[in-house]
Formats: sequence, C-alpha cells, structure tokens
Amino acid sequence: MDRKKFILFRVGVIVFIITSVTVAVTRNSALLSIVSLLTGLFFWIFVQSKAKNRIDERVTTVQEKAAQMTYLIFTPTIGIGSIVLLLFARDEYYYLESLGMVLAYLTLFLIVLYAISYHFLDRKYGGSGD
Amino acid sequence: MEGAAIKNKLKVYRAMHDLTQEHLAEKIGVSRQTVIAIESDKYLPSLGLAFKIARYFKVNIEDIFSYEEDTDED
Repeated sequence: MDRKKFILFRVGVIVFIITSVTVAVTRNSALLSIVSLLTGLFFWIFVQSKAKNRIDERVTTVQEKAAQMTYLIFTPTIGIGSIVLLLFARDEYYYLESLGMVLAYLTLFLIVLYAISYHFLDRKYGGSGD
Repeated sequence: MEGAAIKNKLKVYRAMHDLTQEHLAEKIGVSRQTVIAIESDKYLPSLGLAFKIARYFKVNIEDIFSYEEDTDED
C-alpha cells in the first residue's frame, strides 16, 4: 500500500467512525457511539500518530501483516459465531438467528474474497507459469 | 530456510562514515525507524533496499549483509 492509498484508507476509517457516531446518536444508541469513539481513539493512538513517518517498505510490510492478522482473527471469529448463533438460537431469540445468518453470509463472502485475491496475486507474482 | 539468519553490519558502517540514523535514512529513502529496525535485526530489508545500502557505502552487499546457517545438528 503506497502513501496515497494509506491516506485514503485513513480517511475512509475516519469517515466511517464519524458516520457511525452520527448514526448512533440519531438512533439513541449510546453503546455504539461510545464504542465508535473508543475505536477512533484506538486507531489514532496506534496508527494515525505513527503515520506521520515516511511510508517506506517496512511500514508497507507492517500494513500487510496487520491486514493478514486481522483477516485471520476476524473471519474464523465470525464464522464460529455464526455457527453458534444458528445452532443455539431459540424461537424467542429469532434476532440471534438472523444475526447468525448475516454473519454466515459475511464469512462466506470473506472466504470468496480471499480466494479471488489469492488467485490474482498468485498470477501477478508469477504463479501458474508451467 | 529454517535455522538460518541474515545478519548485518549496518551500525558498523554507519559509525565508520560518522552518520546519524536520520541522515542515513534520508540518504537511502526510508524512515529512521526502519534504520533502527534493520540495525537491531528486527526487520529484514528487501533486496532492493539492501543493494541501495551497499551502493551508498560503496561496498559489496555481502560486506554488510551475511547469511548464517544454523550449524546446530541433532
């Protein structure tokens, strides 16, 4: 990720957090607004403040590994969560079953996205050359 | 490449040329943090950056970076 893309990513995160807080306030969801603000603070402390430095290959490596680690934690977590919700949601907790369905589709989307990314990157870096 | 490590003498060459980490970072186009990370063996530079460093000090790449295999055998 070069400097321009990294700046776009940071702007995207900031816009999302602002939007999230705005939606939370309009929906009277104090929890979402607090979590959004804490997430923004967390991002500022661990990423934004360090991003003033030159974006060189080490920072690019850190970004790539952070994205990989995020995917490796996030996808199994929501996958397992979706299975648990779908298996154990009772009739009176129908919303949990709906949430489980959403998480299941999201997990499947992430798996497909990974497969497509892997295919294109493999070809980009000289795979399937035989 | 299990048991192998790539070591470097970047700190030695930087001292020989009386350079600060900031100055060297500026010359080779990276951040000071990257120079620190390379010197402390926490970050392995790319081949391109390794060649850039060697070219800056006017030495061969093997003079700065060395490949050491783990000689411990079972």
